[in-house]
Amino acid sequence: MTRIIVVTSGKGGVGKTTTSASFASGLAMRGFKTAVIDFDVGLRNLDLIMGCERRVVYDLVNVISGEATLNQALIKDKHCENLFVLPASQTRDKDALTEEGVEKVLKDLEHLGFEYVICDSPAGIERGAVMALTFADEAIIVTNPEVSSVRDSDRILGILQAKSKRAQAGGEPVKEHLLVTRYSPKRVEDGEMLSYKDVQEILRVPIIGVIPESESVLHASNQGTPAIHIEQSEVAEAYKDVIARFLGEDAPLRFVSYEKPGLFKRLFGG
Amino acid sequence: MTMTQDTAPDHDIALIEFKGTTLPVLAITLRSLDPKELTSAGSTLFGEGAFFDGDLAVLDLSQLIAWPEQIEWTLIVQLLTTHGLRVLGVTRGNSALTESAANAGLPALALSAGRSVKPAPVAKKTAVADPELDKIPASLRKTPAPEASPAAPAEAAKAEPDEALLDNPGTLIIDRPLRSGQQVYARGGDLVILAAVNPGAEVIADGNIHVYAPLRGRALAGARGNAQARILTTVFAAELVSIAGIYRTFEDGVPAKLANQPVQVRLAQEPVVSISTGQKSRLEIDILRVD
Repeated sequence: MTRIIVVTSGKGGVGKTTTSASFASGLAMRGFKTAVIDFDVGLRNLDLIMGCERRVVYDLVNVISGEATLNQALIKDKHCENLFVLPASQTRDKDALTEEGVEKVLKDLEHLGFEYVICDSPAGIERGAVMALTFADEAIIVTNPEVSSVRDSDRILGILQAKSKRAQAGGEPVKEHLLVTRYSPKRVEDGEMLSYKDVQEILRVPIIGVIPESESVLHASNQGTPAIHIEQSEVAEAYKDVIARFLGEDAPLRFVSYEKPGLFKRLFGG
Repeated sequence: MTMTQDTAPDHDIALIEFKGTTLPVLAITLRSLDPKELTSAGSTLFGEGAFFDGDLAVLDLSQLIAWPEQIEWTLIVQLLTTHGLRVLGVTRGNSALTESAANAGLPALALSAGRSVKPAPVAKKTAVADPELDKIPASLRKTPAPEASPAAPAEAAKAEPDEALLDNPGTLIIDRPLRSGQQVYARGGDLVILAAVNPGAEVIADGNIHVYAPLRGRALAGARGNAQARILTTVFAAELVSIAGIYRTFEDGVPAKLANQPVQVRLAQEPVVSISTGQKSRLEIDILRVD
């Protein structure tokens, strides 16, 4: 049985694509056959972050409109054996995403034996975003610790509860996970940023992880490597913890408290 | 490429116009589907002729315990027609009953949640709200409408308070968080919310609003002009509160002494005309003390 997981946020620039890439990679590293789909039709960038932009021939819209088969469009990831990328179209507009078309693609992925399908949602609450969450079994709500991002996440949670197939069928609802990204414990300490507890208090969704703000994410993105592959970085460790918690393992939150630099460090620099 | 001429005549008035509306519909609870039993029960209640005046009716199937294998829907509808009812469809039946009714041309109609019709010994006129529970016509939202439509259950509640107590038109209870962009309207009754109302969410009731969690969004009680309505919350952090159309916003956040406190909002006893806003009354927001 394929589990469909949407990575969504409402707001742009909070780390949805970074999270989709790392989350999908993390599941694949654990041995699960995983596909990650870019729903941002017209503004694709998952392929850039996955470092496969030069191998894109066919895309999601081609598959939906029957111009290519799923096998032709799926791109095998260069880092992980079990990971495949289904890129978005840069040239077509988002109306090309039909509900029937998306459902068929997801069904076909199930027939191909995929265990997890990660849907990378575009920002906003329009067609692409709604299509990405329509068939979701679980949702990762990516939120930055600032009020506008929290507000938009709240909005998208409402849409998830209204428009997803699970909500409409009235059965078991979509399982929601809160992921706080670009978190800076120091700025929280200084009162410049909401704490992850504040965010959770407003959104009231179980927290699956906190990803620290880091320069290394930008470097990794520019190189086309998902952040989870950056050896010995806090970000990679935090994403690996997210995978562990997602799979039901016990992993305490890390990188969320700020330790004041000691006297020695302050005198001589870090 | 040839252009197709737009042949639509240039009318000033739209030939087809859409408007939302609510119709009074009788909910008829059936405890049997045996035409014979129903015929005698009907005769006892309504005599032999047309008791009703062509009223619309929906058959409530929720109280049925047993029913025959072959349900004679046509006979049942015929029976009700002789009593002057026009049956639109069925409601609240299980899937088998609903399907059987659908095959007989009786569609399943959604009776909105939270206003369950109490089983009554005699047929009783009960208004059925429109199925779009979460939506409220824009015209009702900010302007109190004292002359509510004849179908409005709120009207009945005002006229006969005792009757309203006995046959509550329906308190709507919400136990999930309300999120930015979501709106809930308790038509003709109270609204009880057991989870947070987040910024950007809007909760509206014709009666009172109770929020046993943080109220961070907008709350409008007495939406049809009930000046006695109140808003009660255990954690006050609202964006806007309104009673019977008298509203207050909190641009710079709620006053410090009220912030995150249990609070009661109501209209002041003596109406005061505000010169600056022209509002004829004033909202009182007080810390709620429970002894």
